[in-house]
Amino acid sequence: MSTTTAPPPGASQEDLARLEAHWGERASLRSWFGTVDHKRIGRRYLVTASLFFVLAGISALAMRTQLARPESSLLSPEEYNQLFTMHGTAMIFLFATPMLFGFGNFLVPLMIGSRDMAFPKLNALGYWVFLFAGLFMWASLPFGAAPNGGWFAYVPLTDDRNTPGLHMDVYTLGLLFLGIATTAGSINFIVTALKLRAPGMSLNRVPLFVWAIVATAFMVIFALPALNLDNAMLFLDRRFGTHFFDPEAAGNVLLWQHLFWIFGHPDVYIIVMPALGIVSAVLPAFTRRGVVGYVLIVLAIVSIAIISFGVWVHHMFATGLPHLSYSFFSAASTIITIPSGIQIFAWLATMLLGRLVVRVPLLFLIGFIVTFVLGGFTGAMFALTAFDQQVTDSYFVVAHFHYVLIGGAVFPILAGIYYWLPKMTGRMYHEGLGKWAFWLFFTGMQVAFFPMHLSGLFGMPRRVYTYRDEPGWDVWNLVSTIGAYILAVGLLLVLIGVVHAIRRGRPAPPDPWGGDTLEWSTDSPPRPYNFPVLPQVHSLHPTWDQPSRSSMAEDATADRILADGRRTLFTSELDGRRERVVEMPEASVQPLLLALAMLVFFTAMLFAWYPFAAAAAVAVAVTIAVWLWPPRRPEEELGVVR
Amino acid sequence: MSNRSLAAATSTEALTTELPAGRSTGWWGMVMFVTTEATLFACLLGSYFYLRFQHGGEWPPGGIEQPKLLRPLVMTAVLLPSSLPMIWAERGIRRGDRRRLRYGLATTLLLGSAFLALQATEYAELFHEFTLTTNAYGSLFFVITGFHGLHVLIGLTMLSWLLAAALRGGSFGAHRHDRVRNAAIYWHFVDAVWAAILFTIYLSPRL
Amino acid sequence: MSAQPGPRTRLAGGLLLWYAVLGGALAWAIHLMVAWGADELTCASGSDRIGAVPLRLVVALAVVLPALATIGALLAATLAWRRTAHTRPDGIAEATLGRTRMLAALGLWANLLFLAIILLGGVALLVFPPCQR
Repeated sequence: MSTTTAPPPGASQEDLARLEAHWGERASLRSWFGTVDHKRIGRRYLVTASLFFVLAGISALAMRTQLARPESSLLSPEEYNQLFTMHGTAMIFLFATPMLFGFGNFLVPLMIGSRDMAFPKLNALGYWVFLFAGLFMWASLPFGAAPNGGWFAYVPLTDDRNTPGLHMDVYTLGLLFLGIATTAGSINFIVTALKLRAPGMSLNRVPLFVWAIVATAFMVIFALPALNLDNAMLFLDRRFGTHFFDPEAAGNVLLWQHLFWIFGHPDVYIIVMPALGIVSAVLPAFTRRGVVGYVLIVLAIVSIAIISFGVWVHHMFATGLPHLSYSFFSAASTIITIPSGIQIFAWLATMLLGRLVVRVPLLFLIGFIVTFVLGGFTGAMFALTAFDQQVTDSYFVVAHFHYVLIGGAVFPILAGIYYWLPKMTGRMYHEGLGKWAFWLFFTGMQVAFFPMHLSGLFGMPRRVYTYRDEPGWDVWNLVSTIGAYILAVGLLLVLIGVVHAIRRGRPAPPDPWGGDTLEWSTDSPPRPYNFPVLPQVHSLHPTWDQPSRSSMAEDATADRILADGRRTLFTSELDGRRERVVEMPEASVQPLLLALAMLVFFTAMLFAWYPFAAAAAVAVAVTIAVWLWPPRRPEEELGVVR
Repeated sequence: MSNRSLAAATSTEALTTELPAGRSTGWWGMVMFVTTEATLFACLLGSYFYLRFQHGGEWPPGGIEQPKLLRPLVMTAVLLPSSLPMIWAERGIRRGDRRRLRYGLATTLLLGSAFLALQATEYAELFHEFTLTTNAYGSLFFVITGFHGLHVLIGLTMLSWLLAAALRGGSFGAHRHDRVRNAAIYWHFVDAVWAAILFTIYLSPRL
Repeated sequence: MSAQPGPRTRLAGGLLLWYAVLGGALAWAIHLMVAWGADELTCASGSDRIGAVPLRLVVALAVVLPALATIGALLAATLAWRRTAHTRPDGIAEATLGRTRMLAALGLWANLLFLAIILLGGVALLVFPPCQR
């Protein structure tokens, strides 16, 4: 497989030395806190999101241990409520999206042939805010003050009369804080993909993973405000006595549900879409051909991103709409399955037409298809209203969405970890260890979650901290718990595999898989400037086509080396025509300071120290003002007439 | 449109025109930010209508009077035209005219501050009748107008910051005016949102 | 037509292409907001007329007009697809031509999808009285 050797350098030794001087970061405390390198930030996203994944996973194991037998008293009801809420909230907001943004951060500039993101400092800010928001939420758990109203936090359960204490304030403020990171990251992805693509990379040559990340970012831009507003209103209701959700004072509890699902339904795709992008990115290397139906997959990505905003009412069919207006949402909910189906069949066709290379990433992709399709199948069962009413709020639902989310997000993420580990760390993983990890994870997943369909059908409601010794429930719960532990061992092996690769793995060549996208044209791990020579792209699979490859080697030109400064190229939005050379910002601790000021603000709001909050708000404004303050330039450079 | 120009617009040359092209990253970043903010305001105003129609009955509820029109109309007359000196200032600096930039910014600042002062007097008067905590209408009224007021304040901070940089010299010119244009986009957005708020809060209860 | 088109013609051509790509999506969004909003609000107020106009007619218009707009976008996409079928010797870059063709293909399929959604939702109008719950 690893027949590729590093191409002959197109840049001279002096060019390389100058690039290194402009882009390299000496190991120091300052550079550690101030880095704006998208690769370091991307890796930090991945590590931090994994840390939150472990915490949420341990919460799940504690719950499964509690449920292993009836009338267990390992956890109190209060503890159980906080654990299941933090498990769901963290998995969705602190793991799935940030993890995929981590892949995006590391990969998007590499895949489009750029030297960094469009806004490197904003990128660093996004990471720090994500880290602090995650710690902010998890820090409440040891004090018994963690959110406890379920991940979708329906009012009136979560208002101040029914849930006094800090619990839901941690939830609302934590998600508002995190929203800053998600929004900043999304804007950054969109602008990066629009302006920083290598020359020649017109829209029809953009890798599918980049399409998926950009579509996700657009969904965030339009969906997240609904969640932010919802949380802001709930916080105001709880803390300052407003009445948005209070029916006694002209408010309405259903407003929460509407706003939550306007966000929540696109969010399902916000989580799954980039993961499906990983599938499209990994598949070509292990089938030795491009993904079948590029245009159709782009169509699926774009149309899902749009239609997902027109289906939210299907979460609320119990609220008494006229049948006619129901039909408009019903039509959208039906048609959205077509693009989803297109993607699955395109991948199956790719596997059928290609030559399969069975390595660990491909195993995880197959695991993804099996699990995701099973989850989709139970999803279709909910469309039968009678069945839906029978199983709503039972463990059947829990089984369904774990098949969808573990199948649709975790399997592709694990495939991505194994696939890009050589690129990220410069080391190969241990194949045998990886196969063990896959089989344990796959088996554990099925053993843990398949029986939940049954316990759900036997009437076990979700979110109960314990249950009586009734026939039918205890056996399946015990099986689920055993499965959860097998799954955990599988994940532990993934972790061991990563650590083993970093410590002991053999050095990775630039292109161990024969991949088709541009990241495989860089060193493993890539140099700080990514590309000694920015590529000239000639096709959808630049690493597989000779003109694109040689544009970085023997056909290199000085206007794509740009070694006299920290520079990269802007190209035009649609056609990727060369526009101009731009200077990129250097490392800075301003993003960290800004994120810290925001942390002080949200902490002060949580504990109602309003003068501190006001001071922190001023600190935020001052930091931004200093950050963006224009440097002084001579008048002739500015072009001043008078 | 004549047949000839239709044929021209559907020619391969015209259809392959790259549109948009040549925008800077700062422009795209600001446009995306304003888009997500606009969605936030749309959700906020949508919530107003949702609560209003779900409540049924008289609106505003709880014996609160219809909002008075005179002051908000004056506020509108102050805020909406404040975009004009901003446009004038931005066009000026694009040609390297720093004087126009300074005067334009100062005028916009003045108009924006007048808007906030008028809003403060309105609040002082309304607080006798109802507040944030009276009922959902009070919550909606003060959160929507207050959130917009906060945006005006942020906009004014941006403009003061621009003015400070412009007065220092060596900041902006014909080749360097990204920051001016981005602040201008934000300011126009804040203005446009006010028009939507005027319609929702002040005019629509009378319809 | 060998002369280079002027800036206005280019603008019209560029906008026409975006209409071909996103017209269906936009029409669907408007259809959804208007048809759902009108139905929901009018029925909630206990009437099946908006002023003097029957609600059924309003909803029907909110189905038919967006459907026509989507068909228009479909035709525009077909046109763009046909106009980009051959590489040309006269200097439109290969990347530009390929990009336009891809957007046209995207528009073709997307408009079909959105047309299907609009018609599937609208056909309920033949079955249900607008305010039946």
